[in-house]
Amino acid sequence: MTMIKVEHLKKSFGKKEVLKDISANVEKGKVISIIGPSGSGKSTFLRCLNVLETPTSGKIIFDGQDLTHISEKELDILREKMGMVFQSFNLFPNMNVVENVKLAPMKVKGVSEEEAEKQALELLDKVGLKDRAKQYPSSLSGGQQQRVAIARALAMNPEVMLFDEPTSALDPEMVGEVLKTMQDLADSGMTMVIVTHEMGFAREVSDEVWFMADGCLQEQGSPEQIFENPQSPRAKDFLSKVL
Amino acid sequence: MKKTKLFSFFFALLMFFSLGATFIKPAQAANQKQVAEGSILKKIKKSGELVVGTSADYPPLEFTTSENGKTKYVGVDIELARDIAKDLGVKLVIKNMSFDSLLVALETGKVDMVISAMTPTPERKQSVAFSKIYYKPSGEYFLVNKKDKDKYTSIQSLKGQTVGAQTGSNQYNLVKSQMKDSKLKGLGKINNLVLALQSGKVSAVVVEELIAKAYAENNSGLAAVRSNLKETQAGNAVAIAKGQDDLVAQVNKTIDQVQKKDLISKEYLPAAAKYMKTEKKSNTFAKYIPYFFKGIWYTIVITIFSVIIGIVLGIILALMRLSKNPILHWLAVCYIEFIRGTPQMVQILFVYFGIGYLISNLSALVAGIIAIGLNSGAYVAEDIRSGIDSLPKGQMEAARSLGLSRQKAFRYVIIPQAIKNIWPALGNEFITLLKDSSLVSVIGVAELMYQTQLVQTSTYKGVLPLFIAMIIYFIMTFSLTRLLNHFEKRMKRNDND
Repeated sequence: MTMIKVEHLKKSFGKKEVLKDISANVEKGKVISIIGPSGSGKSTFLRCLNVLETPTSGKIIFDGQDLTHISEKELDILREKMGMVFQSFNLFPNMNVVENVKLAPMKVKGVSEEEAEKQALELLDKVGLKDRAKQYPSSLSGGQQQRVAIARALAMNPEVMLFDEPTSALDPEMVGEVLKTMQDLADSGMTMVIVTHEMGFAREVSDEVWFMADGCLQEQGSPEQIFENPQSPRAKDFLSKVL
Repeated sequence: MKKTKLFSFFFALLMFFSLGATFIKPAQAANQKQVAEGSILKKIKKSGELVVGTSADYPPLEFTTSENGKTKYVGVDIELARDIAKDLGVKLVIKNMSFDSLLVALETGKVDMVISAMTPTPERKQSVAFSKIYYKPSGEYFLVNKKDKDKYTSIQSLKGQTVGAQTGSNQYNLVKSQMKDSKLKGLGKINNLVLALQSGKVSAVVVEELIAKAYAENNSGLAAVRSNLKETQAGNAVAIAKGQDDLVAQVNKTIDQVQKKDLISKEYLPAAAKYMKTEKKSNTFAKYIPYFFKGIWYTIVITIFSVIIGIVLGIILALMRLSKNPILHWLAVCYIEFIRGTPQMVQILFVYFGIGYLISNLSALVAGIIAIGLNSGAYVAEDIRSGIDSLPKGQMEAARSLGLSRQKAFRYVIIPQAIKNIWPALGNEFITLLKDSSLVSVIGVAELMYQTQLVQTSTYKGVLPLFIAMIIYFIMTFSLTRLLNHFEKRMKRNDND
């Protein structure tokens, strides 16, 4: 079953065309890794999926609605169903860990404080940070912050999770704990779209790998296909450099 | 791109002013209604109050004394006002303000009449009506420092010197026309003129005989010297808005009685002299402590309410400015630029006299609070905006990605962080506001600066009350600074920074 359908997506910043006519489907329950050289438009593509960037043209169909042609209000409702994790974590520094996690359920869904707290603690337990619930983000390591960010996104019970280079800003020794959390999430059957430079992880965990370069989706396929037998010259070139 | 931006800025500015113009139209109508023929007398009878404007810094004609810690207005003009009120069968209410604001207050219906040693000059007669002359002063005097008593005795001897006079007063015009070789310095209040005299800023102050003698008697450093200024239209009369013939007739009737019984020299002046003597006898500062306390109280009230208005308005304006709606955006931009580009003093006068058209019983205190709050809002808005702009873009994106609407994201995520970022700037703004609250003394709000001026007038001393006021202001701002620092530290602790 198709969860997100992207049709002829184009995005320009001023005169610079960053995404050139991309069409693709995200199937339910699949884990998709998007790889490619820097500046290829991977992050922009991901940010178009929940319309943090407004596409210049094309359609993004989610839950039967075209996200590019609905009101702000309707968009807010659909965004609840799309969790997002950012490269720079973007935790709210003025709230402690548990407050970060329970804010959206309380303010958007109207869940009671008590219930939100209970659910938040469960999620923090899942990412292994229950004992840090009352601490402020600034006192946590990068890896811990990113795990809190994942718990925060999960608190809205999303149908799909978008990861925008979730480990790029981390010290190498912290990458593992975040990838582990993501692996657990993938194992639980969550639909995930991950922009990443972690080739090993992409190969291990993904059901599908998409290779992007020059604003185009060059190649799609299973990890084996892409990593062992890339077809496009751009992919061959890129993989020969990173592997 | 740039051109269209500039264009839309001017367009919005134009909108802003035309909006203002539509505001002023009903205001004028209200004004005309207020001074419609014969309406004031009806209003006085209906409210049971006669509101008389005066500049109570002119002993023995009008000045203040303290009675049981309360300010009491006394003097010849006040006695006359009391008799007029008595003849009308209503209560007397005195509104004290600076001399140059009196006629505006009269024209805008803030006061029913002005009794303030005012001379009916032809220029004044163009805008207001006058009663009969009730009192003829005996002539203009130079108030000088005692050491100059024999030096400055005439117009000629003051050649090249600076001469002070009350702005908008008859003396001011006399100096302008007859002392062309002297520099003229105009100030709104006599006590400030005396202060200028004592500190050598002016060599002489031109006042009429009684006032000059009162100051000389009460202040050993000063002397009164008869001037050789020629006066053409001497005499004081009651000023009343135009078209109020019935009220003028009533006032003239009282004046006739007063003159027939010679009340001014038989009763009014002795009564005033008595107050001046008691002033002299017990001129200890302890007596004026209640003045300062009252002033502190009003200053705090003004500050608190203005800060509340400032914060609420500031947040609204900041959000409007950040809004995607171009009309809201440009309205906020225009408001902020306009307020920041005009002097606060003018804004205060405009709110009191201008907006006062619309709401006729707008008190000076409320007008002052509104004016300062409106001003503060513009600055707070800019502070908030810079605080919001300084936040990482990711904060808004993270909030939106969780499904929070723009409004909710602002409310729960952006504004709380912005407030913390801008706390020091906001603190400065509120300290400035506390200090600037002294400006509302011009419209006669009884805050600290105003009370200080009253004490100056009552004690005939210029510097000491100012010094005390300075110390009090400093204590207030210093305490506020400490309080704000305390909160800043607490917010930081929350952050574990």
